[in-house]
Formats: sequence, structure tokens, C-alpha cells
Amino acid sequence: MFSKPDSALIIVGHGSTVNPDSSAPTFDHAEEILRRGVFGEVHCAFWKEEPSLRQVLHMVDREDIYVVPNFISEGYFTRTVIPRELELEGAITRRGGRTIKYCEPAGNHARMTDLLLHRAAHVAPGVPPAETSLFIVGHGTNLNDNSAAAAKREVERIRERGLYGEVLSAYMEEEPLIAKWDELSTKPNVVVVPFFIADGLHSYEDIPVLLGIAEESPGAASVNAMDVFRRNPYRLRGRTLFYASAIGTEALFAEIMLDQVAAFDAEHAA
Amino acid sequence: MKRALTQSLAAWLEGGRTRIGQVAILKTADGFELRHADDFSRADLVKAEGADAARHLANLDDAEAYRPLKTAPNLRHGWRLTLRDVDELRRALDYFYPAMTALFLSQTNGVLHAVPFRETLNRQTGMYRVTQKITDEQARTMIDSFCAGCLKCRLWDGQASPDEADRIPLLCQEACNLLVAEARKVVKAEPAPS
Repeated sequence: MFSKPDSALIIVGHGSTVNPDSSAPTFDHAEEILRRGVFGEVHCAFWKEEPSLRQVLHMVDREDIYVVPNFISEGYFTRTVIPRELELEGAITRRGGRTIKYCEPAGNHARMTDLLLHRAAHVAPGVPPAETSLFIVGHGTNLNDNSAAAAKREVERIRERGLYGEVLSAYMEEEPLIAKWDELSTKPNVVVVPFFIADGLHSYEDIPVLLGIAEESPGAASVNAMDVFRRNPYRLRGRTLFYASAIGTEALFAEIMLDQVAAFDAEHAA
Repeated sequence: MKRALTQSLAAWLEGGRTRIGQVAILKTADGFELRHADDFSRADLVKAEGADAARHLANLDDAEAYRPLKTAPNLRHGWRLTLRDVDELRRALDYFYPAMTALFLSQTNGVLHAVPFRETLNRQTGMYRVTQKITDEQARTMIDSFCAGCLKCRLWDGQASPDEADRIPLLCQEACNLLVAEARKVVKAEPAPS
């Protein structure tokens, strides 16, 4: 792995005004990268939390700055909001003695496929993949969001490896609906991996309710929200179902951030 | 200009700036200790260690509710956080009061520029573009009410930077996204006459 003691890394997340789980993986990955000592500085910035995108550049001492969006795909935030708020002029912005290098979103990296496979294997240990249907679940219907396309792309890549009996994409709000998982799949074992950057209401409750492994709760996600990931396997509708937490919470995600920095350097090498 | 925030922070502490927002900064034999300023004399505080612990202390208030705005005056009580050096202190303060030491350094260096509220709104796209329709009167009422729940000094709203020699000030150079989101609610609820 490279070493950039004279550079700073800014990881940009969406954040939330409702719960701390949205920004938690972004902070976790930043702390991990800081511990590794790869960068001289590591900071986070958010759209919905502080530090904001308008504040974060004040926090940086170093003049060589990499920005990695912690998003699952290209879309409105990576193409419009982040460049606008950071006043970026393209992949490389030079301003006031600083060079700001805008990398691709974490979710775009080719190693995302490995990460999904790692998570799927981890959640269902000892379960033969050939007798398993693997679902990659996206949100769907998001305005200007390519996350559904990204989920389909990952499904294609996993299929090409020929490990799982079946690999399928499904969505919360568009066809094919994850609620119909038992009709869509044929294998005795089913592994479901949410293709989200963070855990939250979608992974704690919405998807579990659609899967039929949880009841809708009357209020906000409870303190025991994580329990839904601890009760594997679920036996229902004649199948054995394993449910993983959001892919963005995977510790290896920190390496994908670093991979995106390396990919940026490779693409923009003088 | 080369920035060196950690050194600046050390200099501010030497100069007696030992308070930021609701957090008191104490120099100890082997580093620093932070506590809620209200807890200065309490002996029953739960000890936490290291900058990463600050994130979790800053996230929830006394009633365990999430604090989306870290400069709201509802920092939880009952803890003390030990940090081994100024580097850790800088990181911990960035969890308690994100970017606030950095904005003070920028102000000290003369590079912190307040952005007028209209400029912030005019930049918005997508679901927040509608905020441009807020009237000056609606905006005034909203700012007075909404920002009353925040300890920052609104440089963009004509407030003068506080001059308290024992504190690192909390500066707001531009309306935050919470306020922009609030402006959307105001416009949606009560559209201005066209």
C-alpha cells in the first residue's frame, strides 16, 4: 500500500439529521485509515451533518487533498452536490496553493464485487454457494440515482464468477421487488445483502419487513435494531434465509477508499 | 499560507483558551482531559479514553436522543475524556464541535469569508432549489427562531465574533444545511405570493 504523509484524505458521506448510523461507517473507515497512517490527515464531511462540505477544507493543513465520496454509485450527489459545495472544477482543482483531487465513489470500484462476496460468505458460513440464491438489494426509484444500475452491475459480475447457484438484484420500491424473494429465487438457501452505504431504517426495518423476518415497529428504529442481523438463519417460506447488514459497514470498505485514491493516481499520472 | 492547526490549538491553550462551547479543556500531567463545563467539579464522572470515544459522547444528549447539530446547547453530562496529546485533542474537538477550531484558525488568518444567506440559497439545486422563494420576512423569523437552538455566532447574519479570551469561539460562516432544510419547510408550508 502507498504512503502519503504529505497528503490529506477527505471522505464525503451523506449523513443524517435523524440518526447517527448513517455517518457511522464513514467515520469508522476514516478512523481505520488514520490508524494505518497512510495519509497525513483524514477528515470526514457530510451533506446533512457537520463538518459540512463548506467547512471541511478549512480543517485541512496539507495542500495535496484527495476527496473520496462514500457513496454506492455515481449520481446526483457525486456529480452535482459535492463538486458544487467544494467548488471543484473537475477531477483536479487547483486553488490557493492547494490541489484537490476528486476520486470516484467508493461503490464504483471493481473490488466491490469481492466485498459483496466476502459479506455473503461471512453471513452464511458453511452454506454451499451452489445451493444458494444471493440477492443484492438496492433502493430503486431514487431520483438521479444510479444505485439500481450499480446493483445490477454487481450481480452480473458475481454471476460471471459462477460461485452461487443464483445471483439476483431486487429493490425495495421497484421491480423485481425484494418482498417477492421466495418467488424470484429457487435455491434452498437465500442470502440477502443490502447494497447500501450505511445501516439505517432501510436495513434495520424496511427490508426485514419486506422479507417477512420482522414486524413493522411503531416508532423509530429501536436500540435493538441490530438484532435483526444476529438472528440468522431465518426459516420461512420453506427456505433458509440469511440477512446481512449494509455492505458499507464492512470493515474492508476502508481499503476500497484507498483503492479509489490509487486508481485516481494511476489515471492521472503525469 | 501554510496551515498548522494542531500548533495553533496548542498556542490557544497556552494563551488561556480552555473552553469551547460546553466543553472545558483541562491540562493534565499526561495530556488533556475534557468534560462538560457543568461537570467541572463533579467526582462521579465516567471515564472515557481517546479521540474516537468523543464521537459517541457527542452523538447523544442526556436523554439518549441523537444530536444532529453538534453546536446545540445539549451536550450530554457525566463523562470525562482523557487524551494523550494535542493531536488527539484536535481530533476529539472535531467530534464535539466539527470544524470549529479550523474556522477559528481561518478567521485568525483572515481567510474566513461569511456567505450571505441569499447566496447560500441561490446555490441550491434539486429539492432545495425551492428555498430561493423564501421572503426576507419569513427568513428573518425562521433564523431568529431556528438558530436560537445553536451556540454558533452567525457571521453571515451580521453577528460580531465574540471576544472571550478564555474560549475558542464557535463560528458560523454560512447557513448550515439544517437551516436550508428548514427554509424548504417554510416555503412549502406557506408559499410566498407570486
